[in-house]
Amino acid sequence: MKYVALFFQYAAQYMKTRLTYRTDMIVEIGSDLMSQAVNFVFILLVFGHTTMISGWSRDEIIFIYGFFLVPFAIFGAFFNIWDFNERYIVKGEMDRILTRPIHSLFQIVLERMELESLFGVLTGTAVMIYAGSRLDLTFAWYDPFMMVLLVLGGTLVYASIFVLIASISFWSDSPTSIMPMMYNIGNYGRYPVNIYNSIIRFVLTWILPFAFVGVYPAAYFLGREEWYTYAFLTPVIGLVFFLLSIFMWNVGVTKYRGAGN
Amino acid sequence: MENMIEVKDLRKEFKSHSSRSGLKGAFRDLFTRQYKVVPAVNDISFTVKQGEMVGYIGENGAGKSTSIKMLTGILTPTSGIVRVNGMDPHKEREQFVRSIGVVFGQRSQLWWDIAVQESFRLLKKVYNVPDAEYKRHMNHVIESLDIAPLLDKPVRKLSLGQRMRCELAAALLHNPPLLFLDEPTIGLDVLVKLKIREFLKEMNEKYNTTVLLTTHDLSDIEALCERVVMLDEGKIIYDGQLDSLRSNWGEGKQIEFQFADTEVDKRALQPLLAEFDGVWTQGDRENVWIANVLNEEQVISEVIGRVVAAHKITDLKVHEISIEDIIRNIYEEGVTNG
Repeated sequence: MKYVALFFQYAAQYMKTRLTYRTDMIVEIGSDLMSQAVNFVFILLVFGHTTMISGWSRDEIIFIYGFFLVPFAIFGAFFNIWDFNERYIVKGEMDRILTRPIHSLFQIVLERMELESLFGVLTGTAVMIYAGSRLDLTFAWYDPFMMVLLVLGGTLVYASIFVLIASISFWSDSPTSIMPMMYNIGNYGRYPVNIYNSIIRFVLTWILPFAFVGVYPAAYFLGREEWYTYAFLTPVIGLVFFLLSIFMWNVGVTKYRGAGN
Repeated sequence: MENMIEVKDLRKEFKSHSSRSGLKGAFRDLFTRQYKVVPAVNDISFTVKQGEMVGYIGENGAGKSTSIKMLTGILTPTSGIVRVNGMDPHKEREQFVRSIGVVFGQRSQLWWDIAVQESFRLLKKVYNVPDAEYKRHMNHVIESLDIAPLLDKPVRKLSLGQRMRCELAAALLHNPPLLFLDEPTIGLDVLVKLKIREFLKEMNEKYNTTVLLTTHDLSDIEALCERVVMLDEGKIIYDGQLDSLRSNWGEGKQIEFQFADTEVDKRALQPLLAEFDGVWTQGDRENVWIANVLNEEQVISEVIGRVVAAHKITDLKVHEISIEDIIRNIYEEGVTNG
């Protein structure tokens, strides 16, 4: 409960800081919306020429893409930890974090939130509505709840992979290029996994489970029953990986060496 | 009185890998790495009682920061026991840090972009300080540190002295019984230093706050602390009253002579101190020699008499040995004559 209250305090402060730079904010929101629109058009163009890939129609692929954007946007808003090594380990900001009575990872989430990213949720939803209407998808009364559950699962998957990688910094503070690489690999989750060979598919399902951010949960809404098992596994995988990543993080904190003054 | 800090055989080792030289060495490093285990803090033990103000001193790399970071729960000790305020700082970190305040002079606790009072407000939520208590305590802190006019300014617009005062207020926001200050006066002007010292004294008197202070500015220590703990190469080399440091090592006087004659050297001067157990050291300018002798009337006048009779001098000064000199001597010569 305390963490929820604290979250809103930080979010309010974040908005307030944004509002003090009024022109900045207007420009930023404008450019954010614009880039989301460009994204949308880009997706349509890229998939415009495809008809069927490995049994998926063009509109289904667009729907998967749209779904992916939603957990990805939420991840982007709260888990800005791609520069964790640089900012917190090398510069020693972790010292400050560790002298406050809140879980260290939660503090970093609070400090680094970037609520603008949430515009991606709108784009994703728009893409899904566009593709869904062309596919004549029907929704049951419980589907919105499923949507929330699967989006949360996907977000947790994404977040935990990045938390795991950030935790490595506690053991080795030499700069690594794993973070940008992971962003690239993450993009594979946007496309149906059965277009890849079986090894990549295995990796994307069980090792770096990015497939649970896009194709698997989206398959549920597309009514692709052959993928339902995976779709329902999404929240489970999300939770398991998240607990694992928190565990690794907590172990990592005990290995923190601090930066010299 | 209750012990606030209890440290026993505390040790922290860092493993660092030593890279071999050259390209060939770099290749070999890829496969077999050579690690060197360096103890940054080497089995230290000490206790601090509630309400004490202790100066924690040592050269750069002596292990001050590392041991403070273990006391504040930032680093995990390699071995040994730490109990601070009855808790294990690292194991019970989140509970523990509620009972301490920390100021790292080179690192800001405040949010850079937002007004000071907004930072305070967030910290108040972080530490869960009730409104009434916050008002009662912080009004007093804000007044004593004279930061009321700064509260609505963003931190990035403050000068260093202004920022430091706000940092101190932020660290005391939850009124902790124990305060860690790492270089709190670094780079500050005299007036701000005085204000901060005065404030710390006041907090100590009013709330019986325990303070552990590291600083390079020994005048801070002289003004605030009765006790010093001195570290060198990860070990405690002195732990005791500041006064006895002076009386054990600082009993002497220094007599500084500037000679007119350039030929003077140590060999020529040494016999003049013959039976007084004194030492000559070279001064920082040319032809300046300092006689370190006991602080006794007879010795001082006898030495001056002999030197002046034997050589021509252009200047003469008599100093008391400063704490800084004492500490330098201890580092250079070790705690041998103590």
